[in-house]
Amino acid sequence: MRKTNNVIKIKDFKVDKGLPFDQEYNFAYLDENTKKMIRRAIIKALCIPGYQVPFASREMPMPYGWGTGGVQVTASCLTKRDTLKIIDQGADDTTNAVSIRNFFKKTSNIKTTEITEKATLIQTRHRIPETPLKKKQIFVYQVPIPEPLAFLEPKVSETIKMHSLSEYGAMHVKLYEDISKNGHIETAYAYPVKTNDRYIMDPSPIPKFDNPKMNNSPAIQLFGAGREQRIYAIPPYTKVKSLDFEDYPFDPFKAEHACDICGSKNTYLDEIIVDDAGNKSFICSDTDFCNKRKNK
Amino acid sequence: MIIPLLKVTNLSKSYDNIVGCKNISMSLYPGEVLGIVGESGSGKTTLINCLSGNLEPDRGKIIFNINNKETDFLNISESEKRKFIRTDLAFVHQNPRDGLRLNVSAGGNIGEKLMSVGYRHYGNIRSLATKWINKVEIDKSRIDDLPITFSGGMLQRLQIAKNLITSPNVIFMDEPTGGLDVSVQARVLDLIRSLVNELNLTVIIVSHDLAVIRLLADKMIVMKNGTVIESGLSDQVLEDPQQEYTQLLVSSVLHV
Repeated sequence: MRKTNNVIKIKDFKVDKGLPFDQEYNFAYLDENTKKMIRRAIIKALCIPGYQVPFASREMPMPYGWGTGGVQVTASCLTKRDTLKIIDQGADDTTNAVSIRNFFKKTSNIKTTEITEKATLIQTRHRIPETPLKKKQIFVYQVPIPEPLAFLEPKVSETIKMHSLSEYGAMHVKLYEDISKNGHIETAYAYPVKTNDRYIMDPSPIPKFDNPKMNNSPAIQLFGAGREQRIYAIPPYTKVKSLDFEDYPFDPFKAEHACDICGSKNTYLDEIIVDDAGNKSFICSDTDFCNKRKNK
Repeated sequence: MIIPLLKVTNLSKSYDNIVGCKNISMSLYPGEVLGIVGESGSGKTTLINCLSGNLEPDRGKIIFNINNKETDFLNISESEKRKFIRTDLAFVHQNPRDGLRLNVSAGGNIGEKLMSVGYRHYGNIRSLATKWINKVEIDKSRIDDLPITFSGGMLQRLQIAKNLITSPNVIFMDEPTGGLDVSVQARVLDLIRSLVNELNLTVIIVSHDLAVIRLLADKMIVMKNGTVIESGLSDQVLEDPQQEYTQLLVSSVLHV
Protein backbone atom coordinates (compact mmCIF):
# COMPACT_ATOMS: atom_id res chain seq x y z
CA MET A 1 0.00 0.00 0.00
CA ARG A 2 1.30 3.41 -0.93
CA LYS A 3 1.75 5.64 2.03
CA THR A 4 0.95 9.33 1.77
CA ASN A 5 0.94 11.97 4.43
CA ASN A 6 -2.86 11.99 4.30
CA VAL A 7 -3.30 8.49 5.67
CA ILE A 8 -4.74 8.44 9.15
CA LYS A 9 -3.68 5.63 11.40
CA ILE A 10 -6.39 4.71 13.83
CA LYS A 11 -5.04 4.22 17.31
CA ASP A 12 -6.52 3.75 20.73
CA PHE A 13 -8.04 7.16 21.33
CA LYS A 14 -7.67 8.29 24.90
CA VAL A 15 -9.18 11.63 25.88
CA ASP A 16 -6.55 13.00 28.12
CA LYS A 17 -5.27 16.50 28.71
CA GLY A 18 -1.73 15.57 27.82
CA LEU A 19 -2.45 14.10 24.41
CA PRO A 20 0.85 13.77 22.61
CA PHE A 21 1.45 15.21 19.16
CA ASP A 22 0.73 12.51 16.63
CA GLN A 23 3.03 12.84 13.63
CA GLU A 24 0.97 10.43 11.56
CA TYR A 25 -1.55 13.20 10.90
CA ASN A 26 -1.08 15.87 8.33
CA PHE A 27 -0.62 19.24 10.07
CA ALA A 28 -4.00 20.25 11.60
CA TYR A 29 -5.68 17.04 10.48
CA LEU A 30 -7.04 18.11 7.06
CA ASP A 31 -5.11 17.25 3.90
CA GLU A 32 -3.55 20.15 2.01
CA ASN A 33 -5.98 20.01 -0.93
CA THR A 34 -8.95 20.36 1.38
CA LYS A 35 -7.32 23.28 3.16
CA LYS A 36 -6.69 24.95 -0.18
CA MET A 37 -10.35 24.54 -1.12
CA ILE A 38 -11.50 25.95 2.21
CA ARG A 39 -9.06 28.88 2.02
CA ARG A 40 -10.46 29.78 -1.38
CA ALA A 41 -13.96 29.80 0.10
CA ILE A 42 -12.70 31.98 2.97
CA ILE A 43 -11.10 34.48 0.59
CA LYS A 44 -14.30 34.69 -1.43
CA ALA A 45 -16.30 35.13 1.78
CA LEU A 46 -14.02 37.97 2.89
CA CYS A 47 -14.47 39.70 -0.46
CA ILE A 48 -18.28 39.63 -0.12
CA PRO A 49 -18.99 40.34 3.57
CA GLY A 50 -21.93 38.33 4.88
CA TYR A 51 -22.39 36.26 1.71
CA GLN A 52 -22.63 32.52 2.31
CA VAL A 53 -20.05 30.68 0.21
CA PRO A 54 -20.73 26.97 -0.35
CA PHE A 55 -17.81 24.62 0.29
CA ALA A 56 -17.28 20.86 0.20
CA SER A 57 -17.45 20.23 3.93
CA ARG A 58 -15.51 17.12 5.01
CA GLU A 59 -16.41 14.42 7.46
CA MET A 60 -14.68 15.30 10.70
CA PRO A 61 -13.93 12.96 13.60
CA MET A 62 -16.75 14.53 15.63
CA PRO A 63 -20.52 14.72 15.24
CA TYR A 64 -22.33 17.50 13.37
CA GLY A 65 -23.34 20.17 15.81
CA TRP A 66 -20.07 19.96 17.69
CA GLY A 67 -18.35 22.51 15.53
CA THR A 68 -17.32 20.64 12.40
CA GLY A 69 -17.55 23.84 10.35
CA GLY A 70 -15.53 25.92 12.79
CA VAL A 71 -12.90 23.18 13.11
CA GLN A 72 -12.42 23.00 9.35
CA VAL A 73 -12.03 26.78 9.09
CA THR A 74 -9.58 26.78 12.01
CA ALA A 75 -7.60 23.87 10.54
CA SER A 76 -7.29 25.71 7.22
CA CYS A 77 -6.11 28.96 8.82
CA LEU A 78 -3.72 27.43 11.34
CA THR A 79 0.04 27.88 10.90
CA LYS A 80 2.84 26.52 13.08
CA ARG A 81 3.38 29.97 14.61
CA ASP A 82 -0.24 30.32 15.79
CA THR A 83 -1.43 30.35 19.38
CA LEU A 84 -4.88 28.85 19.62
CA LYS A 85 -7.69 29.56 22.05
CA ILE A 86 -10.95 27.61 22.02
CA ILE A 87 -14.05 28.72 23.91
CA ASP A 88 -17.50 27.26 24.34
CA GLN A 89 -20.18 29.53 25.86
CA GLY A 90 -17.33 31.85 26.84
CA ALA A 91 -15.50 29.20 28.86
CA ASP A 92 -12.18 27.51 28.11
CA ASP A 93 -12.90 24.47 30.28
CA THR A 94 -16.16 23.10 28.89
CA THR A 95 -16.40 19.78 27.02
CA ASN A 96 -16.56 21.17 23.52
CA ALA A 97 -13.68 23.58 24.10
CA VAL A 98 -11.46 20.98 25.79
CA SER A 99 -11.99 18.33 23.15
CA ILE A 100 -11.39 20.67 20.20
CA ARG A 101 -8.26 22.09 21.88
CA ASN A 102 -6.97 18.54 22.42
CA PHE A 103 -7.78 17.69 18.84
CA PHE A 104 -5.54 20.49 17.54
CA LYS A 105 -2.81 19.78 20.10
CA LYS A 106 -2.70 16.20 18.91
CA THR A 107 -2.82 16.93 15.19
CA SER A 108 -0.74 20.10 14.92
CA ASN A 109 1.39 20.51 18.04
CA ILE A 110 0.74 24.26 18.23
CA LYS A 111 0.70 26.44 21.33
CA THR A 112 -2.65 26.91 23.04
CA THR A 113 -3.73 29.55 25.50
CA GLU A 114 -6.72 30.62 27.55
CA ILE A 115 -5.74 34.29 27.43
CA THR A 116 -7.61 36.22 24.76
CA GLU A 117 -4.85 38.79 24.09
CA LYS A 118 -2.22 36.10 23.54
CA ALA A 119 -4.21 34.10 21.02
CA THR A 120 -3.72 34.64 17.29
CA LEU A 121 -6.61 32.37 16.38
CA ILE A 122 -9.74 31.92 18.50
CA GLN A 123 -12.50 29.45 17.79
CA THR A 124 -15.77 30.06 19.57
CA ARG A 125 -19.17 28.65 20.19
CA HIS A 126 -21.91 31.09 21.36
CA ARG A 127 -19.76 34.02 22.63
CA ILE A 128 -17.38 36.82 21.68
CA PRO A 129 -14.80 37.43 24.45
CA GLU A 130 -15.20 40.48 26.69
CA THR A 131 -11.59 41.49 25.99
CA PRO A 132 -11.75 43.43 22.70
CA LEU A 133 -10.38 41.57 19.69
CA LYS A 134 -7.41 43.17 18.01
CA LYS A 135 -5.56 43.43 14.74
CA LYS A 136 -4.09 40.21 13.29
CA GLN A 137 -6.39 37.99 15.30
CA ILE A 138 -8.62 35.52 13.47
CA PHE A 139 -11.92 34.78 15.15
CA VAL A 140 -13.79 31.64 14.06
CA TYR A 141 -17.47 31.03 14.85
CA GLN A 142 -19.17 27.64 14.87
CA VAL A 143 -22.48 27.98 13.04
CA PRO A 144 -25.40 25.53 13.22
CA ILE A 145 -27.81 27.23 10.74
CA PRO A 146 -26.16 29.84 8.50
CA GLU A 147 -29.35 30.94 6.72
CA PRO A 148 -31.11 33.79 8.56
CA LEU A 149 -34.10 33.52 6.21
CA ALA A 150 -34.60 29.78 6.83
CA PHE A 151 -37.44 30.27 9.31
CA LEU A 152 -39.33 32.41 6.76
CA GLU A 153 -38.57 30.53 3.59
CA PRO A 154 -37.69 26.84 3.68
CA LYS A 155 -36.66 26.69 0.00
CA VAL A 156 -32.91 27.29 -0.42
CA SER A 157 -33.35 28.25 -4.09
CA GLU A 158 -35.72 30.99 -2.94
CA THR A 159 -33.52 32.29 -0.08
CA ILE A 160 -30.58 32.54 -2.49
CA LYS A 161 -32.79 34.68 -4.74
CA MET A 162 -33.93 36.81 -1.80
CA HIS A 163 -30.30 37.46 -0.86
CA SER A 164 -29.23 38.27 -4.39
CA LEU A 165 -32.09 40.74 -4.85
CA SER A 166 -31.86 42.15 -1.28
CA GLU A 167 -35.47 41.20 -0.60
CA TYR A 168 -35.24 41.47 3.13
CA GLY A 169 -38.56 43.08 4.09
CA ALA A 170 -39.92 39.88 5.54
CA MET A 171 -36.97 39.68 7.99
CA HIS A 172 -38.70 42.29 10.13
CA VAL A 173 -41.78 40.08 10.50
CA LYS A 174 -40.04 38.11 13.23
CA LEU A 175 -39.19 41.29 15.12
CA TYR A 176 -42.75 42.58 14.61
CA GLU A 177 -44.11 39.37 16.11
CA ASP A 178 -41.80 39.74 19.11
CA ILE A 179 -42.98 43.27 19.86
CA SER A 180 -46.67 42.48 19.38
CA LYS A 181 -46.39 39.48 21.71
CA ASN A 182 -44.01 40.79 24.36
CA GLY A 183 -43.82 44.53 23.98
CA HIS A 184 -40.14 44.36 23.07
CA ILE A 185 -37.85 42.42 20.75
CA GLU A 186 -37.55 39.07 22.46
CA THR A 187 -34.95 37.49 20.16
CA ALA A 188 -31.98 37.09 22.47
CA TYR A 189 -29.46 35.11 20.43
CA ALA A 190 -28.69 34.59 16.74
CA TYR A 191 -30.01 38.13 16.32
CA PRO A 192 -29.88 38.96 12.59
CA VAL A 193 -27.48 41.64 11.35
CA LYS A 194 -26.89 43.49 8.10
CA THR A 195 -23.25 43.32 7.01
CA ASN A 196 -21.66 46.14 5.05
CA ASP A 197 -25.14 47.54 4.23
CA ARG A 198 -25.79 44.57 1.98
CA TYR A 199 -26.23 41.00 3.20
CA ILE A 200 -28.41 39.93 6.10
CA MET A 201 -26.39 37.47 8.14
CA ASP A 202 -26.95 35.11 11.04
CA PRO A 203 -24.20 35.87 13.59
CA SER A 204 -24.46 32.26 14.93
CA PRO A 205 -26.10 31.72 18.34
CA ILE A 206 -24.14 34.42 20.18
CA PRO A 207 -26.22 36.48 22.63
CA LYS A 208 -27.39 39.79 21.14
CA PHE A 209 -25.27 41.41 23.86
CA ASP A 210 -22.27 40.49 21.69
CA ASN A 211 -23.67 41.87 18.42
CA PRO A 212 -22.12 45.37 18.78
CA LYS A 213 -18.66 43.75 19.16
CA MET A 214 -18.83 42.55 15.56
CA ASN A 215 -19.18 46.09 14.23
CA ASN A 216 -15.97 47.65 12.99
CA SER A 217 -13.86 44.96 14.67
CA PRO A 218 -10.13 45.01 13.83
CA ALA A 219 -10.05 41.18 13.80
CA ILE A 220 -10.98 38.90 10.91
CA GLN A 221 -14.25 37.12 11.69
CA LEU A 222 -14.94 33.80 9.95
CA PHE A 223 -18.07 31.66 10.21
CA GLY A 224 -18.09 27.93 9.42
CA ALA A 225 -21.20 25.75 9.12
CA GLY A 226 -20.11 22.14 8.57
CA ARG A 227 -23.42 20.37 8.15
CA GLU A 228 -24.88 23.12 5.98
CA GLN A 229 -21.61 23.45 4.03
CA ARG A 230 -21.36 27.23 4.14
CA ILE A 231 -18.60 29.68 5.03
CA TYR A 232 -19.13 33.41 5.49
CA ALA A 233 -17.01 36.21 6.87
CA ILE A 234 -16.71 39.75 8.13
CA PRO A 235 -13.45 41.42 7.09
CA PRO A 236 -11.78 43.82 9.58
CA TYR A 237 -13.37 47.25 10.08
CA THR A 238 -16.70 46.35 8.49
CA LYS A 239 -20.07 47.84 9.40
CA VAL A 240 -22.32 45.31 11.10
CA LYS A 241 -25.76 46.56 12.08
CA SER A 242 -28.39 44.69 14.07
CA LEU A 243 -31.89 44.86 12.59
CA ASP A 244 -34.47 46.92 14.44
CA PHE A 245 -37.43 49.30 14.09
CA GLU A 246 -37.13 53.08 14.16
CA ASP A 247 -39.32 53.21 17.28
CA TYR A 248 -37.86 50.03 18.83
CA PRO A 249 -34.09 50.41 18.51
CA PHE A 250 -31.73 47.47 19.04
CA ASP A 251 -31.06 46.78 22.73
CA PRO A 252 -28.10 44.56 23.71
CA PHE A 253 -29.72 43.01 26.73
CA LYS A 254 -27.91 41.48 29.73
CA ALA A 255 -28.99 40.35 33.20
CA GLU A 256 -29.28 43.25 35.67
CA HIS A 257 -26.61 41.96 38.04
CA ALA A 258 -22.93 42.14 38.74
CA CYS A 259 -20.74 39.02 38.50
CA ASP A 260 -20.68 37.19 41.85
CA ILE A 261 -17.04 36.21 41.34
CA CYS A 262 -15.31 39.27 39.89
CA GLY A 263 -17.95 41.97 40.43
CA SER A 264 -18.03 43.11 36.80
CA LYS A 265 -21.18 45.02 35.90
CA ASN A 266 -20.85 45.25 32.14
CA THR A 267 -20.14 41.69 31.08
CA TYR A 268 -22.48 38.95 29.89
CA LEU A 269 -23.56 36.73 32.79
CA ASP A 270 -24.63 33.11 33.20
CA GLU A 271 -27.47 32.48 35.61
CA ILE A 272 -26.74 29.46 37.79
CA ILE A 273 -29.12 27.74 40.19
CA VAL A 274 -26.96 26.94 43.24
CA ASP A 275 -29.22 24.92 45.56
CA ASP A 276 -32.53 23.09 45.79
CA ALA A 277 -34.23 26.22 47.15
CA GLY A 278 -33.80 27.89 43.78
CA ASN A 279 -31.20 30.43 44.85
CA LYS A 280 -29.30 31.89 41.94
CA SER A 281 -25.85 33.11 41.28
CA PHE A 282 -24.75 35.25 38.33
CA ILE A 283 -21.22 34.79 37.01
CA CYS A 284 -19.33 35.96 33.93
CA SER A 285 -19.64 33.53 31.04
CA ASP A 286 -16.16 34.59 29.84
CA THR A 287 -13.93 32.61 32.23
CA ASP A 288 -10.66 34.17 31.05
CA PHE A 289 -11.93 37.72 31.63
CA CYS A 290 -13.42 36.80 35.02
CA ASN A 291 -10.23 35.11 36.28
CA LYS A 292 -8.07 38.04 35.24
CA ARG A 293 -10.36 40.56 36.90
CA LYS A 294 -10.59 38.51 40.08
CA ASN A 295 -6.80 38.18 40.35
CA LYS A 296 -6.13 41.89 39.80
CA MET B 1 -57.99 58.81 -24.98
CA ILE B 2 -57.58 56.51 -22.01
CA ILE B 3 -54.52 54.33 -22.13
CA PRO B 4 -55.07 50.74 -20.96
CA LEU B 5 -53.42 49.84 -17.67
CA LEU B 6 -52.65 46.40 -18.99
CA LYS B 7 -52.37 45.36 -22.60
CA VAL B 8 -51.90 41.72 -23.51
CA THR B 9 -51.06 40.66 -27.07
CA ASN B 10 -51.02 37.10 -28.41
CA LEU B 11 -50.14 35.47 -25.13
CA SER B 12 -49.53 31.71 -25.31
CA LYS B 13 -48.43 29.16 -22.79
CA SER B 14 -48.34 25.41 -23.17
CA TYR B 15 -47.18 22.61 -20.93
CA ASP B 16 -45.25 20.31 -23.25
CA ASN B 17 -47.96 19.41 -25.77
CA ILE B 18 -50.89 20.47 -23.65
CA VAL B 19 -52.22 23.94 -24.40
CA GLY B 20 -52.58 26.19 -21.33
CA CYS B 21 -53.74 29.28 -23.15
CA LYS B 22 -53.39 30.30 -26.78
CA ASN B 23 -53.17 33.69 -28.52
CA ILE B 24 -54.88 35.70 -25.82
CA SER B 25 -55.21 39.42 -26.47
CA MET B 26 -57.00 41.78 -24.13
CA SER B 27 -56.89 45.19 -22.49
CA LEU B 28 -57.70 46.34 -19.00
CA TYR B 29 -58.48 49.98 -18.17
CA PRO B 30 -57.98 51.75 -14.83
CA GLY B 31 -60.82 51.16 -12.38
CA GLU B 32 -62.17 48.25 -14.37
CA VAL B 33 -63.11 44.83 -13.02
CA LEU B 34 -62.55 42.08 -15.56
CA GLY B 35 -64.03 38.65 -15.03
CA ILE B 36 -62.57 35.54 -16.62
CA VAL B 37 -64.92 32.56 -16.79
CA GLY B 38 -64.72 29.10 -18.22
CA GLU B 39 -64.88 25.48 -17.14
CA SER B 40 -61.99 23.92 -15.27
CA GLY B 41 -59.08 23.23 -17.60
CA SER B 42 -60.03 26.11 -19.88
CA GLY B 43 -56.83 28.05 -19.10
CA LYS B 44 -58.16 30.69 -16.70
CA THR B 45 -55.57 30.03 -14.05
CA THR B 46 -52.73 29.70 -16.57
CA LEU B 47 -53.67 33.12 -17.94
CA ILE B 48 -53.87 34.85 -14.57
CA ASN B 49 -50.61 33.23 -13.46
CA CYS B 50 -48.86 34.51 -16.60
CA LEU B 51 -50.22 38.02 -16.07
CA SER B 52 -49.24 38.13 -12.40
CA GLY B 53 -45.69 36.86 -12.97
CA ASN B 54 -46.14 33.42 -11.41
CA LEU B 55 -45.61 31.72 -14.77
CA GLU B 56 -43.40 32.53 -17.73
CA PRO B 57 -45.47 32.49 -20.96
CA ASP B 58 -44.00 31.00 -24.16
CA ARG B 59 -44.95 33.86 -26.47
CA GLY B 60 -46.71 37.19 -26.46
CA LYS B 61 -46.52 40.57 -24.84
CA ILE B 62 -47.67 41.95 -21.51
CA ILE B 63 -47.44 45.73 -21.16
CA PHE B 64 -48.41 47.51 -17.95
CA ASN B 65 -48.90 51.26 -18.11
CA ILE B 66 -48.91 52.64 -14.59
CA ASN B 67 -48.77 56.40 -13.96
CA ASN B 68 -47.70 56.93 -17.58
CA LYS B 69 -44.78 54.58 -17.12
CA GLU B 70 -44.72 51.64 -19.49
CA THR B 71 -43.41 48.33 -18.20
CA ASP B 72 -42.71 45.53 -20.65
CA PHE B 73 -43.43 42.82 -18.10
CA LEU B 74 -41.72 39.97 -19.96
CA ASN B 75 -38.57 41.90 -20.87
CA ILE B 76 -37.41 43.39 -17.57
CA SER B 77 -34.73 42.02 -15.29
CA GLU B 78 -35.76 39.65 -12.55
CA SER B 79 -35.07 42.16 -9.78
CA GLU B 80 -37.19 44.82 -11.53
CA LYS B 81 -39.91 42.25 -12.10
CA ARG B 82 -40.01 41.15 -8.48
CA LYS B 83 -40.04 44.75 -7.33
CA PHE B 84 -42.90 45.49 -9.73
CA ILE B 85 -44.86 42.49 -8.47
CA ARG B 86 -44.21 43.56 -4.87
CA THR B 87 -45.30 47.17 -5.26
CA ASP B 88 -47.79 47.29 -8.14
CA LEU B 89 -49.51 43.91 -8.20
CA ALA B 90 -51.39 41.79 -5.68
CA PHE B 91 -52.64 38.23 -5.83
CA VAL B 92 -55.53 36.83 -3.83
CA HIS B 93 -55.35 33.04 -3.85
CA GLN B 94 -58.35 30.74 -3.83
CA ASN B 95 -57.00 29.05 -0.72
CA PRO B 96 -56.05 31.78 1.77
CA ARG B 97 -53.52 29.39 3.29
CA ASP B 98 -51.43 29.84 0.11
CA GLY B 99 -51.30 33.59 0.54
CA LEU B 100 -50.74 33.81 4.30
CA ARG B 101 -48.12 32.69 6.78
CA LEU B 102 -50.05 30.53 9.19
CA ASN B 103 -47.39 30.67 11.93
CA VAL B 104 -47.35 34.48 11.93
CA SER B 105 -50.06 36.58 13.61
CA ALA B 106 -52.78 38.36 11.60
CA GLY B 107 -51.08 41.72 12.16
CA GLY B 108 -47.71 40.29 11.12
CA ASN B 109 -49.23 38.93 7.92
CA ILE B 110 -50.72 42.29 6.98
CA GLY B 111 -47.58 44.13 8.09
CA GLU B 112 -45.24 41.95 6.04
CA LYS B 113 -46.40 43.59 2.84
CA LEU B 114 -45.60 47.02 4.33
CA MET B 115 -42.20 45.91 5.62
CA SER B 116 -41.35 44.46 2.21
CA VAL B 117 -41.84 47.89 0.63
CA GLY B 118 -39.66 49.59 3.23
CA TYR B 119 -41.74 50.44 6.33
CA ARG B 120 -39.48 50.38 9.40
CA HIS B 121 -41.60 52.06 12.07
CA TYR B 122 -43.45 49.58 14.30
CA GLY B 123 -46.09 52.09 15.44
CA ASN B 124 -47.03 53.04 11.88
CA ILE B 125 -47.15 49.43 10.70
CA ARG B 126 -49.32 48.53 13.66
CA SER B 127 -51.82 51.32 13.17
CA LEU B 128 -52.14 50.67 9.43
CA ALA B 129 -52.62 46.95 10.10
CA THR B 130 -55.32 47.74 12.68
CA LYS B 131 -57.07 50.06 10.22
CA TRP B 132 -57.13 47.38 7.56
CA ILE B 133 -58.20 44.59 9.86
CA ASN B 134 -61.20 46.78 10.74
CA LYS B 135 -61.84 47.51 7.11
CA VAL B 136 -62.22 43.82 6.28
CA GLU B 137 -64.61 43.42 9.23
CA ILE B 138 -62.36 41.42 11.51
CA ASP B 139 -62.48 42.43 15.17
CA LYS B 140 -59.30 44.34 15.97
CA SER B 141 -58.83 42.31 19.16
CA ARG B 142 -57.88 39.41 16.87
CA ILE B 143 -54.86 41.24 15.45
CA ASP B 144 -52.33 39.20 17.44
CA ASP B 145 -54.04 35.84 16.89
CA LEU B 146 -52.62 33.25 14.55
CA PRO B 147 -54.51 32.70 11.27
CA ILE B 148 -55.01 29.02 12.16
CA THR B 149 -57.56 30.17 14.75
CA PHE B 150 -59.58 32.00 12.04
CA SER B 151 -62.56 30.65 10.11
CA GLY B 152 -62.38 30.21 6.33
CA GLY B 153 -64.20 33.46 5.62
CA MET B 154 -62.03 35.43 8.04
CA LEU B 155 -58.89 33.96 6.48
CA GLN B 156 -60.03 35.09 3.05
CA ARG B 157 -60.79 38.59 4.35
CA LEU B 158 -57.39 38.68 6.06
CA GLN B 159 -55.75 37.73 2.78
CA ILE B 160 -57.61 40.53 1.03
CA ALA B 161 -56.44 43.04 3.65
CA LYS B 162 -52.86 41.84 3.27
CA ASN B 163 -53.03 42.38 -0.47
CA LEU B 164 -54.73 45.76 -0.50
CA ILE B 165 -52.73 47.50 2.23
CA THR B 166 -50.03 48.78 -0.12
CA SER B 167 -52.60 50.09 -2.66
CA PRO B 168 -51.50 47.91 -5.60
CA ASN B 169 -52.46 49.00 -9.09
CA VAL B 170 -53.77 45.67 -10.35
CA ILE B 171 -55.28 42.97 -8.15
CA PHE B 172 -55.58 39.39 -9.34
CA MET B 173 -58.13 37.15 -7.69
CA ASP B 174 -58.26 33.44 -8.40
CA GLU B 175 -61.65 32.10 -7.31
CA PRO B 176 -61.62 34.23 -4.15
CA THR B 177 -64.84 32.68 -2.87
CA GLY B 178 -64.11 29.16 -4.08
CA GLY B 179 -63.93 27.18 -0.89
CA LEU B 180 -66.48 29.12 1.15
CA ASP B 181 -70.08 28.27 1.99
CA VAL B 182 -72.82 30.41 0.48
CA SER B 183 -73.51 32.88 3.28
CA VAL B 184 -69.80 33.48 3.89
CA GLN B 185 -69.33 33.79 0.12
CA ALA B 186 -71.97 36.52 0.05
CA ARG B 187 -70.20 38.43 2.81
CA VAL B 188 -66.78 38.24 1.14
CA LEU B 189 -68.28 39.26 -2.20
CA ASP B 190 -70.03 42.16 -0.55
CA LEU B 191 -66.74 43.24 1.00
CA ILE B 192 -64.86 42.99 -2.30
CA ARG B 193 -67.59 44.97 -4.05
CA SER B 194 -67.55 47.77 -1.51
CA LEU B 195 -63.74 47.95 -1.54
CA VAL B 196 -63.72 48.04 -5.35
CA ASN B 197 -66.16 50.96 -5.31
CA GLU B 198 -64.52 52.80 -2.43
CA LEU B 199 -60.93 52.52 -3.62
CA ASN B 200 -61.56 52.42 -7.37
CA LEU B 201 -59.56 49.20 -7.70
CA THR B 202 -58.55 47.56 -10.94
CA VAL B 203 -59.22 43.85 -10.63
CA ILE B 204 -58.93 40.71 -12.73
CA ILE B 205 -61.09 38.04 -11.20
CA VAL B 206 -61.16 34.41 -12.22
CA SER B 207 -64.22 32.38 -11.41
CA HIS B 208 -66.35 29.55 -12.70
CA ASP B 209 -69.28 31.06 -10.82
CA LEU B 210 -71.25 33.34 -13.13
CA ALA B 211 -73.06 34.95 -10.19
CA VAL B 212 -69.74 36.21 -8.84
CA ILE B 213 -68.88 37.67 -12.22
CA ARG B 214 -72.27 39.29 -12.65
CA LEU B 215 -71.99 40.88 -9.22
CA LEU B 216 -68.44 42.21 -9.54
CA ALA B 217 -67.24 42.43 -13.11
CA ASP B 218 -67.80 45.27 -15.58
CA LYS B 219 -66.40 43.28 -18.45
CA MET B 220 -65.83 39.61 -18.92
CA ILE B 221 -64.15 37.11 -21.17
CA VAL B 222 -65.20 33.51 -21.68
CA MET B 223 -62.48 30.93 -22.17
CA LYS B 224 -62.61 27.45 -23.62
CA ASN B 225 -59.71 25.11 -24.46
CA GLY B 226 -57.19 27.86 -23.80
CA THR B 227 -58.70 30.49 -26.10
CA VAL B 228 -61.06 33.42 -25.62
CA ILE B 229 -64.33 32.60 -27.34
CA GLU B 230 -66.39 35.58 -26.27
CA SER B 231 -65.82 38.89 -24.56
CA GLY B 232 -67.68 42.09 -23.78
CA LEU B 233 -69.63 43.87 -21.06
CA SER B 234 -70.72 41.37 -18.42
CA ASP B 235 -74.41 42.18 -18.67
CA GLN B 236 -74.28 41.95 -22.42
CA VAL B 237 -72.52 38.58 -22.47
CA LEU B 238 -74.66 37.10 -19.73
CA GLU B 239 -78.00 38.36 -21.13
CA ASP B 240 -77.28 37.71 -24.77
CA PRO B 241 -74.55 35.08 -25.16
CA GLN B 242 -73.51 34.64 -28.79
CA GLN B 243 -71.42 31.51 -28.62
CA GLU B 244 -72.92 28.09 -28.18
CA TYR B 245 -70.61 27.31 -25.26
CA THR B 246 -71.47 30.56 -23.47
CA GLN B 247 -75.15 29.85 -23.94
CA LEU B 248 -74.62 26.44 -22.38
CA LEU B 249 -72.67 27.99 -19.52
CA VAL B 250 -75.35 30.59 -18.81
CA SER B 251 -78.16 28.07 -19.01
CA SER B 252 -76.39 25.63 -16.68
CA VAL B 253 -76.64 28.01 -13.72
CA LEU B 254 -79.05 26.61 -11.16
CA HIS B 255 -81.80 28.85 -9.89
CA VAL B 256 -83.29 28.27 -6.49
